[in-house]
Amino acid sequence: MPLFLLEIGLEDLPAEEAEAVAQAFREAFVRELEAARVPHGQVRLLWTLRRLALLVEDLAEKQEDVVEEVRGPAVSVGLDPQGNLTPAALGFLRRYGGAPQDLVRRPVGEKEYLFLRVRRPGRPTAEILREIVPRALSAVPCSKFMRWDGGMAFLRPIRWVVALLDGDVVPLELAGVRAGRLSYGHRFFGSAVELGHAGDYVGALRAAKVLVDPEERARLLREAIAGVEREHGARAALSPELWTMLLGQTEWPRPVVGRIPSEFLELPEPVVVAALREEGKFVPLTRGGRIAEVFLGFAEGEGNPEVIRRGYERVVGIRLRDARSFFEEDRKLPLSARVPALKGVVYEARLGTLWDRVERLRQICAHLARLFGLPLEPLDRAALLCKADLLTVMVREFPELEGVMGGIYARLDGEGAEVARAIAEHVRPRTREDSLPESPLGVALSLADKLDGVIGPIRVGEIPTGSRDPYGVRRRGSAVVRLILEKGLRFDLFALVEEVADLYPGTEPVARVKAFLWDRLRSALEERAIPYDIVDAVMAQEDGDFLGVWERAQALRAWAGRPELPALALAFGRVRNILKGQEAQGFDPALFREDAEKDLWHAYQRVKPQVEGALAAHRYSEALEALASLKAPIDRYFDEVLVMCEDGRVRANRLGFLRELSELFLRVADLSRLVVPG
Amino acid sequence: MRTFQDMVLALHRFWRDQGCAIVEPYDLEKGAGTFNPATFFGVLGPRPWRVAYVEPSRRPADGRYGENPIRFGLHHQYQVILKPPPADVQDLYLRSLEAIGLDLREHDVKFSHDDWESPTLGAWGVGWQVWLDGMEITQFTYFQQMGGVDLDPPSVELTYGLERIALFLQGVESAFDLRWAEWLTYGELFRERERQFSVYHFEQADVERARQMFDFHEAEAKECLDRGLVFPAYDHTLRCSHLFNTLDARGALATAERESYIARVRALARGCAEAYLAEVIGAPVSPRDRP
Repeated sequence: MPLFLLEIGLEDLPAEEAEAVAQAFREAFVRELEAARVPHGQVRLLWTLRRLALLVEDLAEKQEDVVEEVRGPAVSVGLDPQGNLTPAALGFLRRYGGAPQDLVRRPVGEKEYLFLRVRRPGRPTAEILREIVPRALSAVPCSKFMRWDGGMAFLRPIRWVVALLDGDVVPLELAGVRAGRLSYGHRFFGSAVELGHAGDYVGALRAAKVLVDPEERARLLREAIAGVEREHGARAALSPELWTMLLGQTEWPRPVVGRIPSEFLELPEPVVVAALREEGKFVPLTRGGRIAEVFLGFAEGEGNPEVIRRGYERVVGIRLRDARSFFEEDRKLPLSARVPALKGVVYEARLGTLWDRVERLRQICAHLARLFGLPLEPLDRAALLCKADLLTVMVREFPELEGVMGGIYARLDGEGAEVARAIAEHVRPRTREDSLPESPLGVALSLADKLDGVIGPIRVGEIPTGSRDPYGVRRRGSAVVRLILEKGLRFDLFALVEEVADLYPGTEPVARVKAFLWDRLRSALEERAIPYDIVDAVMAQEDGDFLGVWERAQALRAWAGRPELPALALAFGRVRNILKGQEAQGFDPALFREDAEKDLWHAYQRVKPQVEGALAAHRYSEALEALASLKAPIDRYFDEVLVMCEDGRVRANRLGFLRELSELFLRVADLSRLVVPG
Repeated sequence: MRTFQDMVLALHRFWRDQGCAIVEPYDLEKGAGTFNPATFFGVLGPRPWRVAYVEPSRRPADGRYGENPIRFGLHHQYQVILKPPPADVQDLYLRSLEAIGLDLREHDVKFSHDDWESPTLGAWGVGWQVWLDGMEITQFTYFQQMGGVDLDPPSVELTYGLERIALFLQGVESAFDLRWAEWLTYGELFRERERQFSVYHFEQADVERARQMFDFHEAEAKECLDRGLVFPAYDHTLRCSHLFNTLDARGALATAERESYIARVRALARGCAEAYLAEVIGAPVSPRDRP
């Protein structure tokens, strides 16, 4: 079966978006192909910033046929009394080219009709492709659409299209460009490439100095980076953003190593790293926490490496000279002197200025200092200063240095080391992958910062929906949960939220904030591979101690393999079931009659302090262990005691007792939610 | 290309041959060639338009007292407008670099995503910074909007940073060492000027008077617009824009105030664009006007 090549030639895509767009296009195309019932093999995605290409293996030459039934005349009209076809039925058959044996009778409402089974032959794939390729491209989401000649809108103008089924051009058209067999190699080092066969694509483009396979480019980049690391005994300071840029920037990457003028090596390492990484230009290298004297760039194509190296070094020199002047400018004023100016910077119209934000952070920090037993004075100082670097030239020029610069300037201003460190760390984690603060004050300040970024927007009604989250509330909510879980912060988050809620304008109830954070916790547990039934079990009751929830989930997961657990879960399920819809509260042990009843009561009295002790010590496995000893008495209870007995008083007493027993279990987990085998 | 002026002349010849009208810089302070009426008004409406010109561009905040090799309070842009954009516009641009003597096979040329926006003009477009060995030498933009008006057809704007390109052509490290003519350096022409304007914009300019001048020109622009005098209104808009830049460089504007000044200039620019479309090119374009 034929191989299909589609290549869309474009003016240079944004390097940071090229891969995402390519993948979205592949998905949209496969979706269309499947909706059109065209069988296909593997769909390989190839892309550079100047082309999106698909190689579809074993593409069927036509759509699959469809068999459907077409309704003809009513039986009373189509058949005469002898059962022979009337002219009406024969006409119907002729119209669809059917044979009498393909007719069937089916009732529709009151009447019976003749139906013809008709096979609709699939159309040729080439014809289908003409329809689905433009549709698939239109379905690709882009950060911004542009027009270039008044026609189709896309991320960048489309300049050529190649569409080949094996060796034949598929006559499709995209944004006014007709497909052919002519592709284009590297802008300066390749030439136009006439493709005889779809299968020639990757090789012919490589000969024209274009690596269309992103894997091949990635390998080349990785090897070049590793080579420079080895040669200079340094580590590349890559970031996910930089990597995306590097992979997207070139069709024929070629490493060029340059040197940083020594006068700039004294600048703070993060500044040099940011200046080099800016716009995905260069890969900085570091050695033992200091910037190395070399950097790496990837040239597009096979230009003169000496010329390019000199150019790179000039650009780096210019930018580092800028950075140094920003640094000198910023140092003219201590951070603390910039704080009052925060009153002039609007953070968000409803949530006030950056100064208002700082005031809230200080209030939250006061609570956190109490909760975590931290010294209030340095934490408050860090909170006061932590946003001041937003007013420095350096952070305006290199936004990624927010916080980091604050830390550096604070240290140079002579602020305490722990204050400087907390300022530097408080912006972390910036992303899901980013590391967390390490110092206790940094953790607290970060928690305050993220919490402020959740409570504020939600209180004024900016609750994220679907993919809409302009304030990054979800990211911040996840950061709150990560800090609690990974830093082992034991406190009642909900109580804290209640206490600080009045600092915020807005009318959304605090319950919205809590529900949102609770939901973030659920996501966090799921991301940490806690099975959903365990998540349900430990989250059956709202609990502001997020760390406790996480630890209970872990304890339960550790128990998941043990044979006692399913039996215990079933036993507890019996308790939960019988309590459904029952209101009974309270009981009197004097009313217990049956042995099994008394037996469970004694067991409960023995177990309760054990469970409570274990809970207080946060030893949740131990709590489970204690609960597990109730399994046998519970089973016996249900075997021998008729809870729903005639005597209303006895019944209420029994239900009241089971309620209390159930409460004890629920403080650990609602085991009845576990999915147990059998 | 031995001199700065030879480079300019070569660009003039190249773009003249592509059907551009070579027009002159506009005689008012402005932050970029985009503000020249040949661009601002030329890209509006359906009429095909091709122009090229040098524009001395003033950005007070970019001044460095003549001490930075490539940053200046006034630099020279070479501006090209191609409306509608030809399909081979990228190649055309690259050929213009070859026409001024750059051998692109020696260098690393990248079209790096950079969408352009001018909040004061109410204009935006998508495109690239063109990097030559990592240095930005051109802003390449498909305009989508000007003066708040959607553009149909779009235009391509090429803005060459002439000083930067000349560094490559003349093989020097500082723009002040460039030869403007055989007997004259860029430094002789501009270094002292740069120093003085940096002093003026960062230390001297009277903030209160600048605010007042802004208010005067804004009032004048509004009255001109009321009387259908689009071009005088636009001149006063340009003056407002420059006074805003002066206030900004002087560090006189808090964030919220800055936003409000930008909004005031944008409102004027929008008024000019709309009045121009309604009153000036309400008339049909005659075929002989097409390039």
